Amino acid sequence: MDIKFSKDNIAFEKEINDLDRLALDFTSALDKCKIKYVIISGYVAILFGRSRASEDIDLFMEKIDYPKFLMLWEELEPNFMCINTSDPKEAYTEYLSNNTAIRFSKKGEFVPNMEIKFPKQELDFWSLAHPIKVIMNKDVLVISPLELQIPFKLVLGTEKDIEDARYLYKLFKERLNSELIDQFVRKLKIGEKFRKYLS
Amino acid sequence: MKLPQIDLKELEKAKEKNFKERLEFIDMYVDWIKKTPNLQWSLQQKKIIDKK
Repeated sequence: MDIKFSKDNIAFEKEINDLDRLALDFTSALDKCKIKYVIISGYVAILFGRSRASEDIDLFMEKIDYPKFLMLWEELEPNFMCINTSDPKEAYTEYLSNNTAIRFSKKGEFVPNMEIKFPKQELDFWSLAHPIKVIMNKDVLVISPLELQIPFKLVLGTEKDIEDARYLYKLFKERLNSELIDQFVRKLKIGEKFRKYLS
Repeated sequence: MKLPQIDLKELEKAKEKNFKERLEFIDMYVDWIKKTPNLQWSLQQKKIIDKK
């Protein structure tokens, strides 16, 4: 794997798959509306080569007001549909504003889909405040720092999550900020799991 | 229909062994992907992900 790391950027080339295409198409609407986001969870491992399928791609977007959400909705409308509701007002007030995720899929498909949430916990806001730009071929996706994603996968704790954490950690061990990982491991109280599965 | 005897402890051990083997596979996969050109690994990944 040929991959270049710099402070806030990771650059590499790959053959785009359907999940990558979904992420790129959706986030291009966010970019057009100037809405900040970070991709989190399983797709981060898939982006960097883990060979497994996924039903969804999880993403935090910054808290926005309804007019801006409507702008995003209209930008998405030609190609995407909201699975939860066809009413943008309901999507915003009943779901997003109540800290409930909404899902968008390509029109005519149910999976895979984008699962969108507003940040709720301190960790979510921290992710949005420390975005990592991934330059894939000539396109850009923004992810949450690996130093948080890896320990957080251990918190989630299913076998799939532990496998994702191990994959990312073993792949990028030499490039990660080990002090930052240690801090998250301590804060999340997952030292034992970290030693058991990643050491 | 007569069902087989099920040893739940044995089943739990098999589950743990299976997970351990999957983690070992992840390590082998990481070793492979690190030394494999991007076009090659990403084409193989695409075959798995795009299979619907």
